[in-house]
Amino acid sequence: MSVNLTIDQGGAPLGEGIQSYTLNFGPQHPAAHGVLRMVMELDGEVIERIDPHVGLLHRGTEKLIEYKTYLQALPYFDRLDYVSPMCMEHTWVLAIEKLLNLEVPIRAQYLRVLFAELTRIKNHLLNIGSHVMDVGAMTPNLWLFELREDLMNFYERASGARMHAAWFRPGGVHQDVPLKLLADISDWLDTRLPTLFEDAMSLVVDNRIFKQRNVDIAIVSKEDALAWGFSGPMIRAAGIPWDLRKSQPYDVYDRMDFEVPIGTNSDCYDRMMIRVEEVRQSARIMKQCLAEMPEGPIASDDRKIAPPKRGEMKQSMEAMIHHFKLYTEGFHVPAGECYVATESPKGEFGVYVVSDGTNKPYRCKIRPTAFSHLQAMDFMSKGHMLPDATAILGAIDLVLGECDR
Amino acid sequence: MTTPVLHSAPRYASHEGMREGISAALGAMLLDSREQNGELLFTVRREAIEDALRLLRDQFQYQQLMDIAGVDYPSRLERFEVVYMLLSVTRNHRIIVKVSTDETSPVPTVTTLWPNAGWLERETYDMYGVLFDGNLDLRRILTDYGFEGHPFRKDFPLTGYQELRYSEEQKRVVYEPVELPQDLRNFDFLSPWEGADYPLAGDEKASPVPPAPHAQPVPEKGGVVDTKNPVTRGAPTVDVPQTTDSPKETGAGAKTDDKAADHVAPGRVSKGTVSGQGDANPDPVETDIDAPGAPEATESRPGRDADDDVDRDNKPESGTGKPGRSGEGEGA
Amino acid sequence: MGVDQQNHRTGRPPATTVPGAAHNQILHPEIRQPDGVFYESLTNEVSDKGYLVTSAEELFQWARTGSLWWMTFGLACCAVEMIHVSMPRYDMERFGVAPRASPRQSDVMIVAGTLCNKMAPALRRVYDQMSEPKYVISMGSCANGGGYYHYSYSVVRGCDRIVPVDIYVPGCPPTAEALLYGVMQLERKIRRIGTIER
Repeated sequence: MSVNLTIDQGGAPLGEGIQSYTLNFGPQHPAAHGVLRMVMELDGEVIERIDPHVGLLHRGTEKLIEYKTYLQALPYFDRLDYVSPMCMEHTWVLAIEKLLNLEVPIRAQYLRVLFAELTRIKNHLLNIGSHVMDVGAMTPNLWLFELREDLMNFYERASGARMHAAWFRPGGVHQDVPLKLLADISDWLDTRLPTLFEDAMSLVVDNRIFKQRNVDIAIVSKEDALAWGFSGPMIRAAGIPWDLRKSQPYDVYDRMDFEVPIGTNSDCYDRMMIRVEEVRQSARIMKQCLAEMPEGPIASDDRKIAPPKRGEMKQSMEAMIHHFKLYTEGFHVPAGECYVATESPKGEFGVYVVSDGTNKPYRCKIRPTAFSHLQAMDFMSKGHMLPDATAILGAIDLVLGECDR
Repeated sequence: MTTPVLHSAPRYASHEGMREGISAALGAMLLDSREQNGELLFTVRREAIEDALRLLRDQFQYQQLMDIAGVDYPSRLERFEVVYMLLSVTRNHRIIVKVSTDETSPVPTVTTLWPNAGWLERETYDMYGVLFDGNLDLRRILTDYGFEGHPFRKDFPLTGYQELRYSEEQKRVVYEPVELPQDLRNFDFLSPWEGADYPLAGDEKASPVPPAPHAQPVPEKGGVVDTKNPVTRGAPTVDVPQTTDSPKETGAGAKTDDKAADHVAPGRVSKGTVSGQGDANPDPVETDIDAPGAPEATESRPGRDADDDVDRDNKPESGTGKPGRSGEGEGA
Repeated sequence: MGVDQQNHRTGRPPATTVPGAAHNQILHPEIRQPDGVFYESLTNEVSDKGYLVTSAEELFQWARTGSLWWMTFGLACCAVEMIHVSMPRYDMERFGVAPRASPRQSDVMIVAGTLCNKMAPALRRVYDQMSEPKYVISMGSCANGGGYYHYSYSVVRGCDRIVPVDIYVPGCPPTAEALLYGVMQLERKIRRIGTIER
């Protein structure tokens, strides 16, 4: 599946009359990470201009959400960035909780952080794997996907679904996890993740070819990174220590002890290496979560928002009514608006919600991380060679589901 | 904030003094400022948005424009709101700045301040049709090539107007008007006592209607009839049918009554009514004519042999049937 | 035949001396593979006569089902499961089903994910570029009938409005196993209705 984008020029130099030509990249291309289409203007093999065409996966999510209750809209978030589903849910439930001013039990907060970090690892494994594959290496990807399978199993054991979990709920999480699952995650963090991940990385990080393809590619200055609205690993690679988990902590991130890796050179290699280090830091956070997680309820006891337990429903008529009301009408959110952004694996993922006091959002604007990053594709790849485009794209960590919504 | 913060959403630097400081600096550009749900919101004049954001970027260190959102409030005079989310990396603070506009008045672009505003403005234009003055690349971004309309407007139907199909005849993908096998079931769950502003099924019965010509005031179980002031609205008489079904569904109504009258012998004298049922038990009256429309007797039908129908169903296997009819064909 | 097989087997070196013998099923006659008898008779026939006789139809079906190269049409979420199925855990390549990035060299297109209006012409174009005989697997609810996005203004309500579909795999997204099962159902279908005609 590794694709080299080099165009065969037939060895002939370009004539005087031909200044540049236009190349259509995508929308169906394995290195496009989905359905991205880029219209490239090339001078020989040098990129002069890139016009990314997005919207090929525009599903009207924001409009659909206006027709759904707050809870029914939750699974749409899984399907935005389908590589890191639970992190998307995280923003949405936090936005609802902010409008409701709802308290979340401490165990639920720990569980959310645990699974948000698990999701971050899951995301980075795919991105690192596909990035190295885009620049020509096959083996690390195979090993990293084996790890991803493990993570999918953990997802399945917590929520019942391998990908689209819909497990974070307003007021907590849907169900408590079995103790064995936590034990298995702990084992996995101690044994399997370090072995496989470090093995795979040992093939990549000092690899000569990998460095040739990534070092000094698409250097972005600090000023540019700020002006273009970069976030996540992209802004950290530029040397700005900005991580919403540290600076604007949500849930129990303020109790976690972890470090924020930043880059020195702000090139594709730095972006990649920041993700590698973030996997290690995420594992560290997960270990802390597992060690500190208290017993207790996993969802708010506000029965107007979080449903009762099934056992309770079989005893109490009131619980039954609450359950029925919550899953038909849903809960009403007081009128107001808020913008909540969390540190998704790709950067700042935000939601701007306007509520009119009913059970459905009046407006839900999703702030995709990829919008800013992909928009900068043009200036980042200007003057680079055509094959560098795949490396730049890989380092952006692009998922079109989130970009196009 | 008066209410304690219970939620665990992202916590950033406090709003202490920010609202006053920014309001003072914005001066005449500011229309409104408020603090709500832990957000700091400023509404500025539309013409001044670029200057206002430049001031916020340069003096108040809001270095990043995270997002531009459009919102549609069709009931307002200027129906669209354009919402700018700003982030200060150095002060660790967020604010929201808004302007309002309508379909025709353009908003000054902020691509001069942040290059990433280009796509965000394109998206707002695509979804709401808000125009941005000075944006040099105001193309559609997310919707289909050649899309018409602005899908996130509240009056744009969720399912849109067009759908795609591959046409075997034309050998290409063709656009056709939307045809849904099943419509979207949309319940709003608004309480009719509080929020709903549309008529509920059955509400039309409560509207004042002139009394039906045939509806004579009748005494209710021996009550006194006030013939001069027949009461039909407010305190309905028993004559009004107490039903939740519409005439269309039950078949009741004036037409049916007329039809029914054909079948009732004329010259009846009503002695009175049973409450709620009208003339339920008219007295039988002896007349010369039969009741109209009564069917013919069915004993013997003309042109048909009376014996023919006998034992059709229990016809024996062979031989014992009517010799005249069944025997001919078989015996030949 | 039975006697021949016995002789054939006893003629091999003793199993215990070979490294890795525990996993080598040829060395352990008591452990049989499901198709062991079939393959052994095939081997015997070739070694006896030096050639095989079969019908052309069977040969074509064997070739078609044995190397279903799929066109990677990853559109949305399902694409992740589609990648997973070709990765080591499920390893679809053991069935000869390998990903292929070019439509001209692929036999089956897996439509994985939501097909949007903007993408539909491209999907059809890729389908038209594929060489005959070609098959389509529709993966996931969105490709099957719009799914969660059925009522959206920008989504094609089922990829069968654009291309003819052979196998529908339900799920949102279908697990990698479900897709694997779908591919095997396609192989079955090819065997059942496959003809020599293109």
